[in-house]
Amino acid sequence: MSMYQVKPIYEGGTKVDLPTCMYKLPNVHEQRASSCFSEHAHQNGEPDSAVRALEARQDEIMRKLFELKAAVDGLAKTVATPDADLDLTVSCSLASPSPTACTFAGTADLDTLLGKDLGALRDIVINANPAQPPLTLLVLHGLLCQRYRVLSAVHVHSSVSGVTPQLLSCLGTRHADGSARHLFQLGFTLIWKDVPKLQMKFSVRNMCPVEGEANVARFLFRLLSPDPSDAALATLVDGWVDTAFFQLAEGGAKEQAAALRSLNAALGRQPWLTGPELSLADIACYCCAVQSGATAAAAAPTHVQRWMKACENLGYFSRAKLQ
Amino acid sequence: MTKEDAQGSTAEEAQSKKGLKKQQKEAEKAAKKAEKQAKLAADQQGTEEDDFAKDQYGISAMVQSQQKLDRELVRVQDLTPEKADKVIWLRARVHTSRAKGKQCFLVLRQQQFNVQALVAVGDRASKQMVKFAANINKESIVDVEAVLRKVEQKIESCTQQEVELHVEKIYVISQAEARLPLQLDDAARPEGEGDEDGRATVNQDTRLDNRVIDLRTTTSQAIFRLQAGVCMLFRETLTNKGFVEIQTPKIISAASEGGANVFTVSYFKTSAYLAQSPQLYKQMCICADFDKVFCVGPVFRAEDSNTHRHLTEFVGLDIEMAFNYHYHEVIDSITDTMVQIFKGLRDRFQTEIQTVNKQYPSEPFKFLEPTLRLEYTEGVAMLRQAGVEMGDEDDLSTPNEKLLGRLVKEKYDTDFYVLDKYPLSVRPFYTMPDPSNPKYSNSYDMFMRGEEILSGAQRVHDAQLLMERAIHHEIDLEKIKAYIDSFRFGAPPHGGGGIGLERVCMLYLGLHNIRQTSMFPRDPKRLTP
Repeated sequence: MSMYQVKPIYEGGTKVDLPTCMYKLPNVHEQRASSCFSEHAHQNGEPDSAVRALEARQDEIMRKLFELKAAVDGLAKTVATPDADLDLTVSCSLASPSPTACTFAGTADLDTLLGKDLGALRDIVINANPAQPPLTLLVLHGLLCQRYRVLSAVHVHSSVSGVTPQLLSCLGTRHADGSARHLFQLGFTLIWKDVPKLQMKFSVRNMCPVEGEANVARFLFRLLSPDPSDAALATLVDGWVDTAFFQLAEGGAKEQAAALRSLNAALGRQPWLTGPELSLADIACYCCAVQSGATAAAAAPTHVQRWMKACENLGYFSRAKLQ
Repeated sequence: MTKEDAQGSTAEEAQSKKGLKKQQKEAEKAAKKAEKQAKLAADQQGTEEDDFAKDQYGISAMVQSQQKLDRELVRVQDLTPEKADKVIWLRARVHTSRAKGKQCFLVLRQQQFNVQALVAVGDRASKQMVKFAANINKESIVDVEAVLRKVEQKIESCTQQEVELHVEKIYVISQAEARLPLQLDDAARPEGEGDEDGRATVNQDTRLDNRVIDLRTTTSQAIFRLQAGVCMLFRETLTNKGFVEIQTPKIISAASEGGANVFTVSYFKTSAYLAQSPQLYKQMCICADFDKVFCVGPVFRAEDSNTHRHLTEFVGLDIEMAFNYHYHEVIDSITDTMVQIFKGLRDRFQTEIQTVNKQYPSEPFKFLEPTLRLEYTEGVAMLRQAGVEMGDEDDLSTPNEKLLGRLVKEKYDTDFYVLDKYPLSVRPFYTMPDPSNPKYSNSYDMFMRGEEILSGAQRVHDAQLLMERAIHHEIDLEKIKAYIDSFRFGAPPHGGGGIGLERVCMLYLGLHNIRQTSMFPRDPKRLTP
């Protein structure tokens, strides 16, 4: 379940030469390790929240330690070999302990990500204009549903009327247990509303609203997997997300064509936009391409076509096929 | 004449000079008086003779249905430029009159509409007629024959801005007293404006004491038209959903919700109570297989609370329905009804809303469809996050209700939401407990702008459980025997709720006092009018 494995501090199997003059006792550490394990097993994947908090804290400390170690290593290298590129070494050493973000398997514990749950459902409220359905967010919603128990709801605000049934059912059918809100980990409330810009509200007391589909998409994606700690990769993903929203979705024909060309070039080198794994960049680009109709014509470049197919083969992308 | 008198008096030499002078003065005085009177008489005679238009105006005899005139009266709201240059009759109230030299401007009002009328000296109207028109008391009812004319410049102060009336005949049908207890313009002055300009405003009690005049203001007209709209939409929506309207007795033998706040009335040799809600009766209708019922009628609460939102008598809009498997079916039905009402008001009563907003500005009412539903524990958690200290099973206090309303509005931008799963301990005995947690119940409140308008629940439909709950609440089983008995012969699972009409209107319009939306409000301190 964790991002990486930490070597146990005490090896259970370590043989210690003990004098044989006294009677023997079972190994204390071994016992504890196994009892701990059995407790986990007993709770069937749902460890006690206190244990979870402790684990999270420990993970955090370990991560910081790794970072520190990497930074120190990098510094040491620059001192030893002045020619070495500081950034590169640091990012490499940072990237090594954590698998790439795109596996969607990071430690995304909602308590640490969104703050402690005090009894209220953690409800993410998204105000979207029905004229521009946020396809990216619908895909991300599908992913969130695979990951967490998500209570989804679609509402229509009184400021708009005549929302099509497609938009009303865009989050799928209602959950059978929809009547018991406390059973859910996360709320996803989509409100069709007359807003100039898509808006997300989460904790109105501690957080200002997040504006813009791209930014909300980034926020939601972080619930699935933490930001890649590789700064270069993170920047690359961010760049693609911006390309998607500013050029593919909102840009003119020329900008769209340029964006498609660069998509094609990138996809020629690797299966997904940012490497061997699917990332937010692919989701955003795919949805924006679909929404703008830039790829509707068969004229889309070959690599892009292949990539679109690959996306469509993943079930949750079907959410983007609203229109 | 004076000279002759004087000459006659000189002959009387026996009188002293002083006396003579005195006499002379008195005589002069008398003469002057006589002269004045003569002149006045002559004047009057003159006017009567001069006034060619004397049949064109006056105070008409009291209408006792002497004759049935076949005269078409045009409504003020229908006075549009298309009817220009036509001679029309209309009946309206004199809202204001202003004389200026040879002409007199009247503003004629009919309900919330008004139009400017002009009486000017000319070949149809005489000077006297103008004078008469100017002296008609405000709020009198007049019949007017006039030519409708288009105007060059819009008349900003009237609702009919593009036309005015050139009066040819004007008759007073019913005269108002010269002194009005309150001025309509003062009563209709926008909130806050009066204080700034130092102009008069009318306080609540004066308004309510003279409710008939207060109700004539455009704002009051709009409020009660909207209230009628709420009732109409309520009936319309529920009838379409297959509900049956029922009538329930208001004089009852036992208190339905707790015993404390009921009015006792003497009932022949014994005493009875005024119904606090049609609760028990609508439930009995469900047991009698009416499936879905609603009723609109007065309910009485003997609560001695003088707040902006409590009345001792108000109109309850009550709903009760049988459901199949989950009481959320009931919530969905009720919230959908409310949403239909809000939509209907928004689409069909926009002029009324605008009119009220002019005097009492407020933000437009916002809502979500389907309606947002939160759970009580969530509400408590939200309040705790905001720094409120309260127990899990405490009822929401009024300030907390409002705070929660603000928090919900901030996040979801809705003025209407449902709070579900209240603690069992704060609900009446007939509330169904929650199946998974005995501390909570299948009950809900609905809120508009952070104030409660409806409270409802799934009811206990099992006689045995009902008795247990009643005993738990220490209610005398004898008194509610008929109620419990009605569940002994098979009762469908059911739920419902009651809405306060006045509160819905007040909160929809963003008004601050429930007395504004009750036509003749009843509170602990007011029994008249």
